[in-house]
Amino acid sequence: MTAQVPSMLVRLAERRATGALLRDTGVLYLADGAVVHAESPAAPGIDVLLTAGGRLRPELWREAVDEAGAACRIAGYLLDHRRMSGGELEIRHLSALYDAAYFALAPDGGPSRFRHGAVHWFGRVRPVGVADVVRETRRRRRYLDDLWPHSHLDAAPPVRVRAAPLPPVTRRQQDVLDLADGRRTPGQIATRLGRPAFHTLVDIRRLAAAGHLETGVRTSDRSTATAPGTRTATAASAGSGPAATTSATARTAPGASLAPVLPPDLTGGAPDVAVLLRVRDALEARL
Amino acid sequence: MSGIDECLLEAMRLPGARGAALVEWVSGLALGVVGEAPGGDHEAMAAEAAEFARNAAELPVFSRTEGAMDRTGADEPEGRGAPSGTGEANGAVDPAGSPAGTDHRIAPADKEPPVEDVIVVARTGYHLLRFLEAPYEGGVFLHLWLDRAQANLALSLMRMRDLSERLVLE
Repeated sequence: MTAQVPSMLVRLAERRATGALLRDTGVLYLADGAVVHAESPAAPGIDVLLTAGGRLRPELWREAVDEAGAACRIAGYLLDHRRMSGGELEIRHLSALYDAAYFALAPDGGPSRFRHGAVHWFGRVRPVGVADVVRETRRRRRYLDDLWPHSHLDAAPPVRVRAAPLPPVTRRQQDVLDLADGRRTPGQIATRLGRPAFHTLVDIRRLAAAGHLETGVRTSDRSTATAPGTRTATAASAGSGPAATTSATARTAPGASLAPVLPPDLTGGAPDVAVLLRVRDALEARL
Repeated sequence: MSGIDECLLEAMRLPGARGAALVEWVSGLALGVVGEAPGGDHEAMAAEAAEFARNAAELPVFSRTEGAMDRTGADEPEGRGAPSGTGEANGAVDPAGSPAGTDHRIAPADKEPPVEDVIVVARTGYHLLRFLEAPYEGGVFLHLWLDRAQANLALSLMRMRDLSERLVLE
């Protein structure tokens, strides 16, 4: 991430600021200088993660939103009405917070603005220090690059390789492979699975490293030959996607297959902002 | 029990406890830490223990339940059978009737993890990893580091099981 964002966060923490740090790639909510929530268009929201697989029935979630959303204390409502234990709520909320923060603090997440006084509707669960969030975000970036140093895979729709005998995959990875149709982005796959986006990125990097997914080096990258499959798939996504995807793609399509030239991946690069915007558009179109 | 910190502090009351953490094994995220960490680095301890836990949870040799009765038995949806050698534990099937829609794969993982505990006996200490029995897609485990000279392994294991259950139930 750029140097300015962490230092801006540190200053806000020192001033015990309350509000929202807004970037193109996501939002970090602070209360009294600590991080209390994060959201990103590239990551499933807390509503998706809490209701995943029927853990919290959607009607109970809606009830909590109706009853406590306006007062910004949905978390408190879920606990008061014993919808889940304090421990489980903390676990799920922290998982969602760090997941979205990874994108919100992306190196090329654009300029930052701070809206003083903004409060997130979910309510406070377990505030985390700014330093912890920044450190964890960096650790995650290093972790992914250690697995397979191709950061454009964080945003590009994964494309399956159906060749040769490939090594076996775990059940979690099989779930990701089943949804890798060359159109869905990692964020969309995570939302379908009800998993944090970062977990999907981990699976995608492992799958790409194992040869199950195309790494799809961009034409501008290094000396490596291009991966024709990836570009074909990108072009196909503009025309043949399902309704939501198609309409979302259409709005931002001009840049889609003419993605900006990125530096070599080994520098640990950034998610493609244009793709992240498409993810946001697609998610909004579904709501 | 009201949350992660209470759970970890309670684990630290065990004889010989040196450090405890709650860790998400897919990401290596430490959700909470108390006490010491080997080398003083909680982040490294969480990341390394997560890698170890991931292998325990996913490698077929540990998770396969061949010969044992499948817990969900006849409820196994069509096509869920694990091709041999894929790392899909036979026990890792989705509960039938999941409200997640028609695609049975978009359902929570098994409530009960195929591996429950991992115990590492080091020269001077024990490391106990206890997987939480909850449908966390992320997979979460409790990690307790104990001084081998002072710890009671059987007692610690029982207490960890109790703590992990209460963390998500109460």
